[in-house]
Amino acid sequence: MLTMTQVKKCYGDQEVVKGVTLHVGRGEAFGLLGPNGAGKSTTISMICGLVPYDEGDIQVDGLSVNRSPYEIKKKIGVVPQDIALYPTLSALDNLLFWGKMYGLKGAEAKNRALEVLETVGLAERGKDRIETFSGGMKRRINIGAALLHRPELLIMDEPTVGIDPQSRHHILETVKNLNEQGMTIIYTSHYMEEVEFLCKRIAIMDHGQVIASGSTQELCKRLAGGNQLLLDVEEAGPAFVDKLKQLEGVEKVVSPQQSEIHLYVKQGQDMMASIVSIASEEAVKIRQIKLKEADLETLFLQMTGRSLRD
Amino acid sequence: MKKMILIARKDIAIQLKDRKAFLLLLLMPFLLTAILGFALKGVMEGETIPAEVIGVYVEKGDPLGEEFVENYLQQDWLTVKRAIHEAELEDWVARKEIDAGIVLPTEWEEQRKSAKILAVAGKESSALFTQQLTDSFSQTFWTMSQSTQTIMTNLALAASAQGAAIQPDKIQAELLMEMKQAAERKGQYIEVTSIGEREVSSMQYYAAAMAAMFLLFNAVRGGKSLHQEQQSVTLDRLRMTPTRVEFILGGKFLGTWCLAFGQFLVFMGATRYLLEVDWGESALQTLCIGLAYSFAVSGLAVLVAAFSANEKTADLAGGIMVQVLALLGGSMLPLSAFPEVMRKVALVLPNSWALTSFTSIMTGTTWASLGAAALVLVAIGAASIVVGTARMRGIALSGGK
Repeated sequence: MLTMTQVKKCYGDQEVVKGVTLHVGRGEAFGLLGPNGAGKSTTISMICGLVPYDEGDIQVDGLSVNRSPYEIKKKIGVVPQDIALYPTLSALDNLLFWGKMYGLKGAEAKNRALEVLETVGLAERGKDRIETFSGGMKRRINIGAALLHRPELLIMDEPTVGIDPQSRHHILETVKNLNEQGMTIIYTSHYMEEVEFLCKRIAIMDHGQVIASGSTQELCKRLAGGNQLLLDVEEAGPAFVDKLKQLEGVEKVVSPQQSEIHLYVKQGQDMMASIVSIASEEAVKIRQIKLKEADLETLFLQMTGRSLRD
Repeated sequence: MKKMILIARKDIAIQLKDRKAFLLLLLMPFLLTAILGFALKGVMEGETIPAEVIGVYVEKGDPLGEEFVENYLQQDWLTVKRAIHEAELEDWVARKEIDAGIVLPTEWEEQRKSAKILAVAGKESSALFTQQLTDSFSQTFWTMSQSTQTIMTNLALAASAQGAAIQPDKIQAELLMEMKQAAERKGQYIEVTSIGEREVSSMQYYAAAMAAMFLLFNAVRGGKSLHQEQQSVTLDRLRMTPTRVEFILGGKFLGTWCLAFGQFLVFMGATRYLLEVDWGESALQTLCIGLAYSFAVSGLAVLVAAFSANEKTADLAGGIMVQVLALLGGSMLPLSAFPEVMRKVALVLPNSWALTSFTSIMTGTTWASLGAAALVLVAIGAASIVVGTARMRGIALSGGK
């Protein structure tokens, strides 16, 4: 459905996307992860035709975005991170407007708008102004506006930011259903559990590059080593961290804060005695040691050295 | 085209739902027209005939002098100030409190002494005018007096030849009365008419001026509306739909044009029926200029959006632009009060063209003479659209950076 080949984008002298290559198959739910400033938004903007790319090519359903932007826009639905709706118009009027902007006409537009209101669970609030809605309800209409023209590819840029758990659950269920009905989804989020729930494959971006891509299971196995040991210590000096890195079986050591050390290891339980011994030698007081199975969160931290929400 | 109409309809719906802003756009010009029109009524409508102020001193109650002051000088276009003594009159003249002075001596009736005209420096024409008034009155009086005497003498001679008796006092009194009435009768055979353009009243002028000024605010509102779309990401969402950037901008332009013209129509109707402003004999001419001016203003909205970084700067810079254009274009003070250089500057301002055209229609004008103004307004709008769209398209293609 989507193929990106060595896509580059520069703003002046600054290269913000550095040769990104990606493939998303038809009907797939694909997660795009990366810390702020990683180049995700620019990548999404290039797929949507908002920003032209400088090198490489992006193809949606076999059509080049730079050469056939209007054909491609008919196939894509985009849910922006911000609420891109008209607050003084009603939910129904907003949906009718966006539907017509995608080429729907008269009765067809109205029927589809009512259907979408049903899909996002707001059929009874159609005549109310958007400005009277809660954050979660606005998010649901924001998603609804991207579904009106039945897109083949739905791109969602952090669609659940700042909403209540109930609305988030509703949105995730809706997206899952759409994917099960055959819609291709590209999903970006800071919430790993959402990505793990929805997506079978992910790509991690940092500094304008894709630094890893594949299924979540593959990546966790390949990159994280196996387990993660979380040390809560008092004032860990560089000598202590260096000694930990030299321990056999330690793949990587990340210290997001002075009092917090993450060790990526093959067998966590076997390492504990050695760690306590080093702490004793370096006069570092350990408050707590946690053993954790590798997941997307740990994978992300290991790869970028930053937490997703940094 | 269909998508342009969709965007325009959406903008109009949003604007109509913002009742406060909409009422402000309609009420403010209406109120200002009413206030300025009433306040400046005297200043503007007094310009056609200058009101002369004549000072008079009548020595010891000369009867002819009293007659002259109390009856002959009582005209709508004259203000008479009576001095208690001659020195006071001379003081008024020296301080230029009056346009001319007249001293009427006691023996003026007997033609033994002449009336004295006091001229104010720099207002010699008023002195000449006063002298002609005085001459006209005295000649009429002495002609009537001489005629009465001649008739009485002839009557007396005829009566004595026939041996009949006459009543000279009664005849003289009747004669004098008839001649006086004939002299004072306002001639029905005189018709006052003006040649050339009619004058516009202050209410008419300020109705046109406020329309020209307040329609300019649509340039700011239109520019801000585009920034609002940008800020709320709806502009990005519009660009993600299969719609060309030119059509999105076209839709925004069309919305501003319709709103500006709608505002003009409502304002014109309100001033016509509530303030009884006469917009001229040809409503079609007024509507054509209103349409062309709304087009120009909507073009300026594209420029405002293209050359301002955000809603705040559009608001600030646009507000200043409106004030400056309104001042230079004659919306605050009549263009006729401006020096020649400023009047030439006004020739490049759309609001000045609109204002001049509206007042021309009010006083009666031809389609041919309005054509140039309409063309200039459309050209200003078109040029603004071309420049603004080129810049905005450039920004859009560079990803807004």
